[in-house]
Amino acid sequence: MFKKGELRELFDSLFAKSWPMWIGGILLAVLNILLFVIKYPWGSSSGYTNIGQNLFQLLGISSLGTNVPINLHAVALLNIFIVIGAFISSLFSREFSIKVAPAGELVKGFIGGALMAIGATVGAGCTTGGFFTGVAALSGGALALGVGFTIGTFVALRYILWEMEALPNISMGKSYTILPGTAKKTGWQRWLGWILIAAILYLVSTYTSKGSAMKIIGWHVLIALLLGMILQRSRFCIVRAFREPFMTGEATAPVAVIVSILVAVVGFTVFKYFGVGNAGELAVRAIEMKAVYANFWLRALIGGFIFGLGMTIAGGCAVGTLWRAGEGHVKLWMSALGFVIMAPISRLFIVPAVKSILPESMRKMVFLPDILGYTGAVVLVLLILLLWYIFVKWNEKTGKFSAL
Amino acid sequence: MQVDQTLDCKGLSCPMPIIKLAKTVKKMNSGEVLELLGTDPGSKTDVPAWCEKTGNIFLEQAEDGGTFKFYIKKK
Repeated sequence: MFKKGELRELFDSLFAKSWPMWIGGILLAVLNILLFVIKYPWGSSSGYTNIGQNLFQLLGISSLGTNVPINLHAVALLNIFIVIGAFISSLFSREFSIKVAPAGELVKGFIGGALMAIGATVGAGCTTGGFFTGVAALSGGALALGVGFTIGTFVALRYILWEMEALPNISMGKSYTILPGTAKKTGWQRWLGWILIAAILYLVSTYTSKGSAMKIIGWHVLIALLLGMILQRSRFCIVRAFREPFMTGEATAPVAVIVSILVAVVGFTVFKYFGVGNAGELAVRAIEMKAVYANFWLRALIGGFIFGLGMTIAGGCAVGTLWRAGEGHVKLWMSALGFVIMAPISRLFIVPAVKSILPESMRKMVFLPDILGYTGAVVLVLLILLLWYIFVKWNEKTGKFSAL
Repeated sequence: MQVDQTLDCKGLSCPMPIIKLAKTVKKMNSGEVLELLGTDPGSKTDVPAWCEKTGNIFLEQAEDGGTFKFYIKKK
């Protein structure tokens, strides 16, 4: 018979300690593969844009608005339920509290979020949909985004290190911790987590009892809940993957991202090659072009650079902002706010300007197998991942590129 | 335990606590003990990992009403 203590043991093994980041990476890749088949692989920035557009619509500024409500926008729902999933997971692990950073940090969060919004709209992709998903989807633009993120992260990290010396007051000052999960009389926090899970399962069942479009939305809610919990437990972080080699030199985060992309590459390539994934409605070519955007190469490089600046200043990329927001970091609430406000503005004013300046040859839709064949494209991606791995492991030992 | 210096990182999120930690320890003398106060759950793994990588000694960690306390001895 199953004993109560054994259930407790299971709960503790999931929520008492953080999971290794690479385990999180593998699980996220599996869910990303599921998203690929259900509708479209994982992305985040278009969800921020939709939420922002709905906000402007609500304020009566319809030029920045949309007629797609949040509850019908799959990516917006992914974003929202990732926050809730991470919130539940942090309640279970007693890591939740409302963490109010000093005012200077809150401003940095907002600016970082706004820069990410500009970068993601200009570059046609963020670290998740553009890079993490994009590389696995054999997109040429994804590689250019990666270069942009690296340069942007490097520059912003130099800024942070300079700021620490020249303007130390920005990250000092009054901070508050509200409702910490480790304080006494906080047993209700775990119960709240269970209530939220029950409510979300009920919500999913209402979606899945309707037509096929609603079933897809329902599954997005469920997968987002899992994504949020996995992200919070493993602290999977793409900013760290780009930043850490230049900061502490630790290779944990880049290795986790590399492992995750490796898993997704296998799944995505099989589906693209055989034309699997919502095949009833989509032509095989449309499936092949999933997560490939018209951004190769300069458009992605510029957007990636701006996004890299933003995510480093905010301390979380589009998705990193979501799960940290769920954990209670108010700086990342500000980052999310900056992102949703700026994304529709950038989409309307900055993106057309960039497009008019850049010739089409510098913002092309490049699906690598079109140029290299499937074998060549996969080999190229594997080679790049291998070189990235060799670099971060070598740098971890030698510290050649690390500032700390 | 005799604490020589306290670094308040409450409210700060990644990467600020680790950057502040590295900068502070750099200015300390060998054998001195730093107390780091923080609220980012990420610090529970980041601080010991940083100590291991840099060779500084991670003495212990404690928790008090949502504030994590880390004790680090400079090598």
